[in-house]
Amino acid sequence: MTHSLHRRGDRESLKDDFVVLGCPSTGVNKKGSAPKTREYLRIAYTHGPINEGDMKTGNIYNTTIEDILDRVTDGTIVEVTYDSRDRVVALLKELKEKRPGISITVSGVTDIVQEMMYEAGLGRIHTIEYSMGTWGQTEKLPDFDVLRITTMCGHAMIANDLVGKMIRDIKRGRRTLDEVAVEMAKCCTCGNLNLTRGKQILKEMLPLYVINSY
Amino acid sequence: MRVRDDRCIGCKRCFPYCPLGRIQTLRRHEKIPGRIYIEIDQDKCTDCGMCYRAKICPVNALYQPAEPWPREVRAILSNPLTEYKGSQVPGRGTEEMKTNDVSGRFRPGEVGVGIELGRPGVAAYFRDVEKVAMALSPLGYQFAEENPVTQFMADKKTGKLRDDVLNERATSAIIEGKCNLKNLPEVLETIKKVAEKVDTVFTVEIISKVPPEGEIPILPILKRLGYWYSINSKNNVGLGEPAFKFYQ
Repeated sequence: MTHSLHRRGDRESLKDDFVVLGCPSTGVNKKGSAPKTREYLRIAYTHGPINEGDMKTGNIYNTTIEDILDRVTDGTIVEVTYDSRDRVVALLKELKEKRPGISITVSGVTDIVQEMMYEAGLGRIHTIEYSMGTWGQTEKLPDFDVLRITTMCGHAMIANDLVGKMIRDIKRGRRTLDEVAVEMAKCCTCGNLNLTRGKQILKEMLPLYVINSY
Repeated sequence: MRVRDDRCIGCKRCFPYCPLGRIQTLRRHEKIPGRIYIEIDQDKCTDCGMCYRAKICPVNALYQPAEPWPREVRAILSNPLTEYKGSQVPGRGTEEMKTNDVSGRFRPGEVGVGIELGRPGVAAYFRDVEKVAMALSPLGYQFAEENPVTQFMADKKTGKLRDDVLNERATSAIIEGKCNLKNLPEVLETIKKVAEKVDTVFTVEIISKVPPEGEIPILPILKRLGYWYSINSKNNVGLGEPAFKFYQ
Protein backbone atom coordinates (compact mmCIF):
# COMPACT_ATOMS: atom_id res chain seq x y z
CA MET A 1 0.00 0.00 0.00
CA THR A 2 1.86 3.02 -1.25
CA HIS A 3 -0.83 5.55 -1.87
CA SER A 4 1.06 8.64 -0.71
CA LEU A 5 4.16 7.76 -2.72
CA HIS A 6 3.58 8.44 -6.38
CA ARG A 7 2.56 12.10 -6.29
CA ARG A 8 3.64 13.86 -9.47
CA GLY A 9 5.03 17.35 -9.79
CA ASP A 10 8.23 19.35 -9.71
CA ARG A 11 10.05 20.43 -6.57
CA GLU A 12 8.28 23.79 -6.43
CA SER A 13 4.89 22.06 -6.46
CA LEU A 14 5.85 19.34 -3.97
CA LYS A 15 7.95 21.28 -1.46
CA ASP A 16 4.99 22.05 0.80
CA ASP A 17 3.17 18.75 0.44
CA PHE A 18 3.48 16.19 3.22
CA VAL A 19 1.45 13.14 4.22
CA VAL A 20 2.19 11.90 7.73
CA LEU A 21 0.83 8.43 8.29
CA GLY A 22 0.36 6.49 11.50
CA CYS A 23 0.28 2.71 11.38
CA PRO A 24 0.44 -0.06 13.99
CA SER A 25 2.15 -3.33 13.06
CA THR A 26 0.40 -6.69 12.83
CA GLY A 27 1.95 -9.13 15.26
CA VAL A 28 4.00 -6.44 17.02
CA ASN A 29 1.94 -3.60 18.46
CA LYS A 30 -1.40 -3.78 16.67
CA LYS A 31 -3.28 -5.32 19.58
CA GLY A 32 -4.40 -2.52 21.86
CA SER A 33 -3.20 0.13 19.39
CA ALA A 34 -6.46 2.12 19.16
CA PRO A 35 -5.63 4.54 22.03
CA LYS A 36 -2.16 5.12 20.54
CA THR A 37 -3.57 5.81 17.09
CA ARG A 38 -6.19 8.11 18.59
CA GLU A 39 -3.48 9.99 20.49
CA TYR A 40 -1.46 10.39 17.30
CA LEU A 41 -4.50 11.73 15.43
CA ARG A 42 -5.31 14.14 18.25
CA ILE A 43 -1.77 15.51 18.37
CA ALA A 44 -1.62 15.77 14.58
CA TYR A 45 -4.88 17.73 14.48
CA THR A 46 -3.54 20.37 16.86
CA HIS A 47 -0.81 21.19 14.33
CA GLY A 48 -3.27 22.43 11.72
CA PRO A 49 -3.35 19.86 8.91
CA ILE A 50 -5.04 20.69 5.62
CA ASN A 51 -6.59 17.21 5.60
CA GLU A 52 -6.85 14.28 7.99
CA GLY A 53 -8.62 10.98 7.73
CA ASP A 54 -8.99 7.28 8.17
CA MET A 55 -9.52 5.14 5.11
CA LYS A 56 -12.58 3.40 6.53
CA THR A 57 -14.29 6.36 8.20
CA GLY A 58 -13.45 9.16 5.79
CA ASN A 59 -11.69 12.49 6.15
CA ILE A 60 -12.51 15.81 7.80
CA TYR A 61 -14.38 16.94 4.67
CA ASN A 62 -16.63 13.84 4.74
CA THR A 63 -17.20 13.77 8.48
CA THR A 64 -15.92 15.37 11.69
CA ILE A 65 -12.63 14.88 13.49
CA GLU A 66 -14.62 13.66 16.49
CA ASP A 67 -16.22 10.94 14.37
CA ILE A 68 -12.82 9.91 12.99
CA LEU A 69 -11.39 9.72 16.53
CA ASP A 70 -14.41 7.79 17.83
CA ARG A 71 -14.19 5.15 15.12
CA VAL A 72 -10.50 4.33 15.46
CA THR A 73 -9.97 0.64 16.19
CA ASP A 74 -6.90 -1.57 16.60
CA GLY A 75 -5.22 -1.65 13.21
CA THR A 76 -6.69 1.57 11.86
CA ILE A 77 -4.26 3.38 9.53
CA VAL A 78 -4.59 7.15 9.68
CA GLU A 79 -3.24 9.84 7.41
CA VAL A 80 -2.68 13.52 8.00
CA THR A 81 -1.78 15.95 5.21
CA TYR A 82 0.05 19.24 5.73
CA ASP A 83 0.79 22.17 3.44
CA SER A 84 3.54 23.59 5.64
CA ARG A 85 6.99 22.33 6.48
CA ASP A 86 7.02 24.13 9.83
CA ARG A 87 3.85 22.40 10.99
CA VAL A 88 5.36 18.98 10.26
CA VAL A 89 8.55 19.84 12.15
CA ALA A 90 6.46 20.92 15.16
CA LEU A 91 4.44 17.70 14.90
CA LEU A 92 7.56 15.52 14.75
CA LYS A 93 9.02 17.29 17.77
CA GLU A 94 5.88 16.59 19.79
CA LEU A 95 5.72 12.97 18.61
CA LYS A 96 9.35 12.48 19.61
CA GLU A 97 8.52 13.75 23.08
CA LYS A 98 5.18 11.97 23.61
CA ARG A 99 5.88 8.84 21.53
CA PRO A 100 2.44 7.37 20.82
CA GLY A 101 4.24 4.13 19.90
CA ILE A 102 2.81 3.37 16.45
CA SER A 103 5.02 3.71 13.36
CA ILE A 104 5.08 7.07 11.62
CA THR A 105 6.00 7.71 7.99
CA VAL A 106 6.36 11.06 6.24
CA SER A 107 5.88 11.31 2.49
CA GLY A 108 7.46 14.33 0.86
CA VAL A 109 10.50 15.60 -1.02
CA THR A 110 13.29 13.42 0.36
CA ASP A 111 15.90 16.03 1.27
CA ILE A 112 13.26 18.25 2.90
CA VAL A 113 11.94 15.35 4.97
CA GLN A 114 15.47 14.50 6.09
CA GLU A 115 16.09 18.14 7.08
CA MET A 116 12.82 18.20 9.04
CA MET A 117 13.79 15.03 10.88
CA TYR A 118 17.14 16.51 11.90
CA GLU A 119 15.37 19.67 13.10
CA ALA A 120 13.01 17.54 15.17
CA GLY A 121 15.93 15.59 16.65
CA LEU A 122 15.03 12.32 14.93
CA GLY A 123 18.29 11.74 13.06
CA ARG A 124 18.43 9.83 9.79
CA ILE A 125 15.47 8.38 7.92
CA HIS A 126 14.92 4.83 9.19
CA THR A 127 13.56 3.18 6.02
CA ILE A 128 12.92 4.82 2.67
CA GLU A 129 10.66 4.00 -0.27
CA TYR A 130 11.35 5.57 -3.66
CA SER A 131 8.96 5.93 -6.55
CA MET A 132 10.51 4.86 -9.86
CA GLY A 133 7.64 6.35 -11.83
CA THR A 134 5.10 4.87 -14.19
CA TRP A 135 6.08 2.15 -16.67
CA GLY A 136 4.21 0.27 -19.38
CA GLN A 137 1.58 1.72 -21.71
CA THR A 138 2.01 5.30 -20.52
CA GLU A 139 0.13 6.64 -23.55
CA LYS A 140 -3.00 5.60 -21.64
CA LEU A 141 -2.32 8.26 -18.99
CA PRO A 142 -4.02 11.66 -18.95
CA ASP A 143 -2.16 14.98 -19.23
CA PHE A 144 0.54 15.62 -16.65
CA ASP A 145 -1.44 18.56 -15.21
CA VAL A 146 -4.35 16.24 -14.46
CA LEU A 147 -1.96 13.67 -12.97
CA ARG A 148 -0.55 16.29 -10.62
CA ILE A 149 -3.97 16.42 -8.97
CA THR A 150 -5.23 12.86 -9.33
CA THR A 151 -2.02 11.22 -8.04
CA MET A 152 -2.60 12.88 -4.68
CA CYS A 153 -5.14 10.09 -4.18
CA GLY A 154 -3.15 6.88 -4.44
CA HIS A 155 -6.32 4.81 -4.69
CA ALA A 156 -7.15 6.76 -7.88
CA MET A 157 -10.55 7.81 -6.56
CA ILE A 158 -10.26 11.33 -7.98
CA ALA A 159 -11.32 10.75 -11.57
CA ASN A 160 -9.47 12.33 -14.46
CA ASP A 161 -12.79 13.52 -15.89
CA LEU A 162 -13.71 15.08 -12.55
CA VAL A 163 -10.78 17.47 -12.82
CA GLY A 164 -12.04 18.71 -16.19
CA LYS A 165 -15.60 18.91 -14.88
CA MET A 166 -14.52 20.95 -11.86
CA ILE A 167 -12.53 23.37 -14.00
CA ARG A 168 -15.51 23.86 -16.31
CA ASP A 169 -17.74 24.45 -13.26
CA ILE A 170 -15.37 27.16 -12.02
CA LYS A 171 -15.26 28.85 -15.41
CA ARG A 172 -19.04 28.75 -15.68
CA GLY A 173 -19.42 30.27 -12.23
CA ARG A 174 -21.12 27.20 -10.80
CA ARG A 175 -18.53 26.51 -8.12
CA THR A 176 -15.72 28.39 -6.43
CA LEU A 177 -12.14 27.16 -6.26
CA ASP A 178 -12.62 26.33 -2.58
CA GLU A 179 -15.78 24.32 -3.28
CA VAL A 180 -14.04 22.37 -6.02
CA ALA A 181 -11.12 21.50 -3.73
CA VAL A 182 -13.51 20.18 -1.08
CA GLU A 183 -15.48 18.18 -3.66
CA MET A 184 -12.27 16.45 -4.79
CA ALA A 185 -11.12 15.96 -1.18
CA LYS A 186 -14.36 14.08 -0.44
CA CYS A 187 -13.50 11.54 -3.15
CA CYS A 188 -10.14 10.73 -1.52
CA THR A 189 -11.50 9.20 1.67
CA CYS A 190 -8.09 8.61 3.28
CA GLY A 191 -7.42 12.33 3.55
CA ASN A 192 -4.41 12.47 1.26
CA LEU A 193 -5.51 15.37 -0.92
CA ASN A 194 -3.56 18.54 -0.17
CA LEU A 195 -6.24 21.14 -0.88
CA THR A 196 -3.78 24.04 -0.92
CA ARG A 197 -1.67 22.35 -3.57
CA GLY A 198 -4.76 21.23 -5.47
CA LYS A 199 -6.08 24.78 -5.67
CA GLN A 200 -2.74 26.09 -6.88
CA ILE A 201 -2.60 23.48 -9.65
CA LEU A 202 -6.19 24.24 -10.66
CA LYS A 203 -5.36 27.96 -10.85
CA GLU A 204 -2.53 27.11 -13.22
CA MET A 205 -4.83 24.92 -15.31
CA LEU A 206 -7.76 27.35 -15.59
CA PRO A 207 -6.37 29.37 -18.54
CA LEU A 208 -5.77 26.15 -20.48
CA TYR A 209 -9.46 25.27 -20.64
CA VAL A 210 -11.74 27.02 -23.13
CA ILE A 211 -15.48 26.80 -22.49
CA ASN A 212 -17.35 26.73 -25.78
CA SER A 213 -20.93 26.91 -24.50
CA TYR A 214 -22.74 28.01 -21.39
CA MET B 1 -21.59 -1.26 -9.62
CA ARG B 2 -25.06 -1.57 -11.09
CA VAL B 3 -27.83 0.79 -12.11
CA ARG B 4 -31.53 0.28 -11.42
CA ASP B 5 -32.89 0.82 -14.90
CA ASP B 6 -36.37 1.65 -13.61
CA ARG B 7 -35.00 4.53 -11.55
CA CYS B 8 -32.15 5.94 -13.63
CA ILE B 9 -33.06 9.01 -15.69
CA GLY B 10 -29.85 9.10 -17.72
CA CYS B 11 -28.77 12.50 -16.35
CA LYS B 12 -25.07 11.50 -16.61
CA ARG B 13 -24.13 13.24 -13.35
CA CYS B 14 -22.23 10.12 -12.26
CA PHE B 15 -20.05 10.08 -15.40
CA PRO B 16 -17.25 12.44 -14.27
CA TYR B 17 -16.89 10.65 -10.93
CA CYS B 18 -15.90 7.33 -12.50
CA PRO B 19 -12.12 6.87 -12.03
CA LEU B 20 -12.01 4.69 -15.14
CA GLY B 21 -13.51 7.23 -17.51
CA ARG B 22 -16.40 6.67 -19.84
CA ILE B 23 -17.45 3.08 -19.19
CA GLN B 24 -21.17 3.82 -19.33
CA THR B 25 -23.60 3.78 -22.23
CA LEU B 26 -27.11 5.20 -22.55
CA ARG B 27 -29.93 2.73 -23.21
CA ARG B 28 -33.59 3.15 -24.05
CA HIS B 29 -35.86 1.47 -21.52
CA GLU B 30 -37.96 -1.28 -23.11
CA LYS B 31 -40.92 -0.96 -20.76
CA ILE B 32 -41.02 2.72 -19.77
CA PRO B 33 -41.80 4.90 -22.79
CA GLY B 34 -39.32 7.74 -23.31
CA ARG B 35 -37.05 6.62 -20.48
CA ILE B 36 -33.30 6.65 -21.03
CA TYR B 37 -31.04 4.95 -18.52
CA ILE B 38 -27.34 4.34 -18.01
CA GLU B 39 -25.76 0.91 -18.33
CA ILE B 40 -22.32 0.34 -16.81
CA ASP B 41 -19.92 -1.91 -18.73
CA GLN B 42 -19.57 -4.74 -16.21
CA ASP B 43 -16.32 -5.98 -17.72
CA LYS B 44 -14.63 -2.60 -17.31
CA CYS B 45 -16.19 -1.60 -13.96
CA THR B 46 -13.95 -2.50 -11.01
CA ASP B 47 -16.64 -2.05 -8.31
CA CYS B 48 -14.61 0.71 -6.66
CA GLY B 49 -17.83 2.33 -5.49
CA MET B 50 -16.72 5.91 -6.17
CA CYS B 51 -19.85 6.90 -8.13
CA TYR B 52 -22.01 5.59 -5.28
CA ARG B 53 -20.00 7.30 -2.53
CA ALA B 54 -20.14 10.61 -4.41
CA LYS B 55 -23.88 10.71 -3.62
CA ILE B 56 -24.40 12.42 -6.92
CA CYS B 57 -27.31 10.33 -8.22
CA PRO B 58 -30.54 12.35 -7.82
CA VAL B 59 -32.77 9.25 -7.96
CA ASN B 60 -30.64 6.78 -5.98
CA ALA B 61 -30.30 4.44 -8.95
CA LEU B 62 -26.76 3.21 -8.23
CA TYR B 63 -26.23 0.15 -6.07
CA GLN B 64 -23.49 -2.36 -5.33
CA PRO B 65 -24.74 -5.94 -4.96
CA ALA B 66 -22.67 -8.47 -3.00
CA GLU B 67 -20.65 -10.09 -5.75
CA PRO B 68 -19.72 -13.78 -5.68
CA TRP B 69 -16.21 -15.12 -6.24
CA PRO B 70 -14.30 -14.39 -8.45
CA ARG B 71 -15.82 -10.98 -9.17
CA GLU B 72 -15.49 -10.28 -5.45
CA VAL B 73 -11.78 -9.58 -5.99
CA ARG B 74 -12.62 -6.38 -7.88
CA ALA B 75 -13.97 -4.59 -4.81
CA ILE B 76 -11.28 -6.07 -2.57
CA LEU B 77 -8.60 -4.36 -4.62
CA SER B 78 -10.51 -1.33 -5.89
CA ASN B 79 -12.76 -0.06 -3.12
CA PRO B 80 -10.57 1.53 -0.43
CA LEU B 81 -13.27 0.88 2.14
CA THR B 82 -13.06 -2.88 1.64
CA GLU B 83 -10.62 -4.65 3.92
CA TYR B 84 -9.09 -7.90 2.74
CA LYS B 85 -8.92 -10.20 5.74
CA GLY B 86 -5.75 -11.92 4.50
CA SER B 87 -3.68 -8.72 4.63
CA GLN B 88 -5.30 -7.50 7.86
CA VAL B 89 -4.94 -3.90 6.70
CA PRO B 90 -7.39 -1.77 4.74
CA GLY B 91 -6.27 -0.94 1.22
CA ARG B 92 -4.68 -2.82 -1.63
CA GLY B 93 -1.38 -3.88 -0.13
CA THR B 94 0.40 -4.51 3.12
CA GLU B 95 2.08 -2.53 5.86
CA GLU B 96 5.34 -2.89 3.85
CA MET B 97 7.91 -0.30 5.00
CA LYS B 98 5.43 1.72 7.06
CA THR B 99 6.13 -0.46 10.09
CA ASN B 100 9.66 -1.58 9.24
CA ASP B 101 11.00 0.14 12.37
CA VAL B 102 9.19 -2.44 14.52
CA SER B 103 8.67 -5.38 12.13
CA GLY B 104 12.16 -5.64 10.60
CA ARG B 105 10.54 -6.73 7.34
CA PHE B 106 13.24 -5.15 5.16
CA ARG B 107 16.71 -5.71 6.56
CA PRO B 108 20.13 -4.50 5.44
CA GLY B 109 21.03 -6.25 2.18
CA GLU B 110 17.38 -6.61 1.18
CA VAL B 111 15.32 -4.46 -1.18
CA GLY B 112 11.55 -4.24 -1.21
CA VAL B 113 10.15 -4.05 -4.73
CA GLY B 114 6.51 -3.21 -5.43
CA ILE B 115 4.80 -3.16 -8.81
CA GLU B 116 1.30 -1.68 -8.81
CA LEU B 117 -0.46 -2.53 -12.04
CA GLY B 118 -3.17 -0.22 -13.30
CA ARG B 119 -1.95 2.75 -11.33
CA PRO B 120 -2.58 5.61 -11.76
CA GLY B 121 -6.21 5.44 -12.84
CA VAL B 122 -5.91 3.05 -15.79
CA ALA B 123 -6.87 -0.29 -14.12
CA ALA B 124 -5.49 -3.73 -14.88
CA TYR B 125 -6.68 -7.25 -15.58
CA PHE B 126 -5.21 -10.01 -13.43
CA ARG B 127 -3.87 -11.72 -16.55
CA ASP B 128 -1.41 -8.81 -16.76
CA VAL B 129 -0.68 -9.02 -13.04
CA GLU B 130 0.23 -12.68 -13.56
CA LYS B 131 2.68 -11.84 -16.37
CA VAL B 132 4.68 -9.61 -14.04
CA ALA B 133 4.50 -11.99 -11.07
CA MET B 134 5.67 -14.96 -13.14
CA ALA B 135 8.52 -12.93 -14.62
CA LEU B 136 9.80 -12.04 -11.14
CA SER B 137 9.54 -15.44 -9.48
CA PRO B 138 12.72 -17.03 -10.97
CA LEU B 139 14.83 -14.12 -9.70
CA GLY B 140 14.73 -14.93 -6.01
CA TYR B 141 11.89 -12.47 -5.51
CA GLN B 142 9.91 -13.39 -2.37
CA PHE B 143 6.23 -12.46 -2.62
CA ALA B 144 4.83 -10.82 0.53
CA GLU B 145 2.65 -13.50 2.08
CA GLU B 146 -0.06 -11.16 3.41
CA ASN B 147 -0.48 -9.26 0.13
CA PRO B 148 -3.88 -9.83 -1.57
CA VAL B 149 -2.33 -10.65 -4.97
CA THR B 150 -0.11 -13.28 -3.32
CA GLN B 151 -3.22 -14.76 -1.74
CA PHE B 152 -4.79 -15.08 -5.20
CA MET B 153 -1.85 -17.17 -6.46
CA ALA B 154 -2.34 -20.83 -7.31
CA ASP B 155 1.42 -21.34 -7.00
CA LYS B 156 3.39 -18.91 -4.85
CA LYS B 157 6.70 -20.22 -6.17
CA THR B 158 5.96 -19.44 -9.82
CA GLY B 159 3.63 -16.48 -9.32
CA LYS B 160 0.85 -18.26 -11.25
CA LEU B 161 -2.55 -16.84 -10.32
CA ARG B 162 -5.75 -18.82 -9.97
CA ASP B 163 -7.32 -19.25 -13.41
CA ASP B 164 -10.68 -17.97 -12.22
CA VAL B 165 -9.36 -14.48 -11.40
CA LEU B 166 -7.39 -13.87 -14.60
CA ASN B 167 -10.19 -12.02 -16.39
CA GLU B 168 -11.11 -9.94 -13.37
CA ARG B 169 -10.08 -6.31 -13.28
CA ALA B 170 -8.99 -3.97 -10.51
CA THR B 171 -8.42 -0.22 -10.31
CA SER B 172 -4.93 -1.29 -9.30
CA ALA B 173 -3.31 -4.46 -7.97
CA ILE B 174 0.05 -4.40 -6.28
CA ILE B 175 2.64 -7.15 -6.30
CA GLU B 176 4.76 -6.76 -3.17
CA GLY B 177 7.87 -8.59 -2.10
CA LYS B 178 11.59 -8.35 -1.66
CA CYS B 179 14.88 -9.60 -3.10
CA ASN B 180 18.55 -9.46 -2.25
CA LEU B 181 20.29 -6.20 -3.12
CA LYS B 182 22.56 -8.02 -5.57
CA ASN B 183 19.51 -9.17 -7.55
CA LEU B 184 18.05 -5.68 -7.93
CA PRO B 185 19.57 -4.92 -11.37
CA GLU B 186 18.17 -8.15 -12.82
CA VAL B 187 14.78 -7.59 -11.20
CA LEU B 188 14.51 -4.08 -12.65
CA GLU B 189 15.67 -5.25 -16.09
CA THR B 190 13.01 -7.97 -16.00
CA ILE B 191 10.31 -5.48 -15.03
CA LYS B 192 11.41 -3.26 -17.92
CA LYS B 193 11.04 -6.15 -20.37
CA VAL B 194 7.66 -7.30 -19.08
CA ALA B 195 6.38 -3.70 -19.29
CA GLU B 196 6.24 -4.20 -23.07
CA LYS B 197 3.93 -7.19 -22.68
CA VAL B 198 1.19 -5.74 -20.45
CA ASP B 199 -1.81 -3.78 -21.67
CA THR B 200 -1.73 -1.25 -18.85
CA VAL B 201 0.57 0.98 -16.84
CA PHE B 202 2.19 0.27 -13.51
CA THR B 203 4.15 2.12 -10.90
CA VAL B 204 7.40 0.76 -9.51
CA GLU B 205 8.64 1.40 -5.99
CA ILE B 206 11.68 0.22 -4.10
CA ILE B 207 12.35 0.08 -0.38
CA SER B 208 15.59 0.12 1.56
CA LYS B 209 16.61 0.26 5.18
CA VAL B 210 18.70 3.41 5.54
CA PRO B 211 22.01 2.60 7.26
CA PRO B 212 22.97 4.67 10.31
CA GLU B 213 25.81 6.12 8.28
CA GLY B 214 26.86 6.07 4.65
CA GLU B 215 24.92 6.00 1.41
CA ILE B 216 21.49 4.45 0.85
CA PRO B 217 22.59 1.20 -0.84
CA ILE B 218 20.06 1.21 -3.70
CA LEU B 219 20.95 4.68 -4.99
CA PRO B 220 24.34 3.88 -6.57
CA ILE B 221 22.68 0.99 -8.41
CA LEU B 222 19.88 3.17 -9.79
CA LYS B 223 22.34 5.89 -10.82
CA ARG B 224 24.76 3.44 -12.46
CA LEU B 225 22.00 1.78 -14.46
CA GLY B 226 20.32 5.06 -15.37
CA TYR B 227 16.96 4.49 -13.69
CA TRP B 228 14.82 7.53 -12.85
CA TYR B 229 13.49 7.93 -9.35
CA SER B 230 11.34 10.67 -7.94
CA ILE B 231 12.47 13.51 -5.69
CA ASN B 232 9.64 12.64 -3.31
CA SER B 233 9.62 9.49 -1.24
CA LYS B 234 7.99 7.80 1.72
CA ASN B 235 10.05 7.81 4.88
CA ASN B 236 9.69 5.80 8.05
CA VAL B 237 10.96 8.11 10.80
CA GLY B 238 11.65 5.33 13.32
CA LEU B 239 9.23 6.28 16.10
CA GLY B 240 7.49 2.90 16.42
CA GLU B 241 7.86 0.87 19.62
CA PRO B 242 9.30 -1.56 20.47
CA ALA B 243 12.08 -0.82 17.96
CA PHE B 244 13.33 -3.77 15.95
CA LYS B 245 17.07 -4.35 16.51
CA PHE B 246 18.64 -4.29 13.04
CA TYR B 247 22.21 -4.08 14.26
CA GLN B 248 23.73 -5.83 17.25
